[in-house]
Amino acid sequence: MAASEDKGECINMLKVIAACGSGMGSSQIIKMKLEKVFKKLGYQAEIYHTNVGDAKSQANNYDVVFCSESLVGTFNGTRATVIGLKNLLSEAEMTEKIEAANLPK
Amino acid sequence: MFKEIVEKKHFSFHEGFDDWRDAVRAACAPLLSDGTIEKEYPEIIIQKVEELGPYIVIAPNICIPHAERGRGVNDTAMCFMKTEKPVSFDPNDPDKDARIFVVLAATDDEVHLNNLMQLSETLSDEAIVDKLLQAKTGDDLLAVEG
Repeated sequence: MAASEDKGECINMLKVIAACGSGMGSSQIIKMKLEKVFKKLGYQAEIYHTNVGDAKSQANNYDVVFCSESLVGTFNGTRATVIGLKNLLSEAEMTEKIEAANLPK
Repeated sequence: MFKEIVEKKHFSFHEGFDDWRDAVRAACAPLLSDGTIEKEYPEIIIQKVEELGPYIVIAPNICIPHAERGRGVNDTAMCFMKTEKPVSFDPNDPDKDARIFVVLAATDDEVHLNNLMQLSETLSDEAIVDKLLQAKTGDDLLAVEG
């Protein structure tokens, strides 16, 4: 958990990567959906979408990685929390998995 | 979303495919006939899936074949295909079967992003997905959003 110093208007920005094979289709859809879901859950999140290769090399600088379930294995060994999604269009699944991961607000 | 797809004849209907690779090629065929993409585009998509697994199946029944921009693509478009029988991407995982295919091709970021927003909204609506699964003609596609 990032212990943020309390300086009045301190915001804990969650750093998120949405990844897919190409970085131009599914990852953008994940990003669009996540923006809605994070807002609903009261998170401040900065979401970057990219392809898996790039995502893997950058993952240690981020808090969470979201990707299709079939790509989860690619991120073995990264420090970030990796969340695999079965249905990229399901806001319910995202909500459930974000809550289960207990991400810092 | 379907008005442009139907106007540009970017759609096809098929019975089924034994090999998902042939399904991806067939889904891309209308884009190939009017020069939106080159022959290499479906092959690049196939190669990526062979390498990484079926990440293009984004939800049960729904596949969005696409690859990185820049190679084999001349214009920004979406192309719809539906099969009667589910196409299997992973014999051990029926959740990765798909009947609705929407190929994405992109040269223009803004148009592409707009396409993706429409796509994500349309395919998140289960009532629309049910109608798409029943669709058999271009007119049926025009009616799903009505």
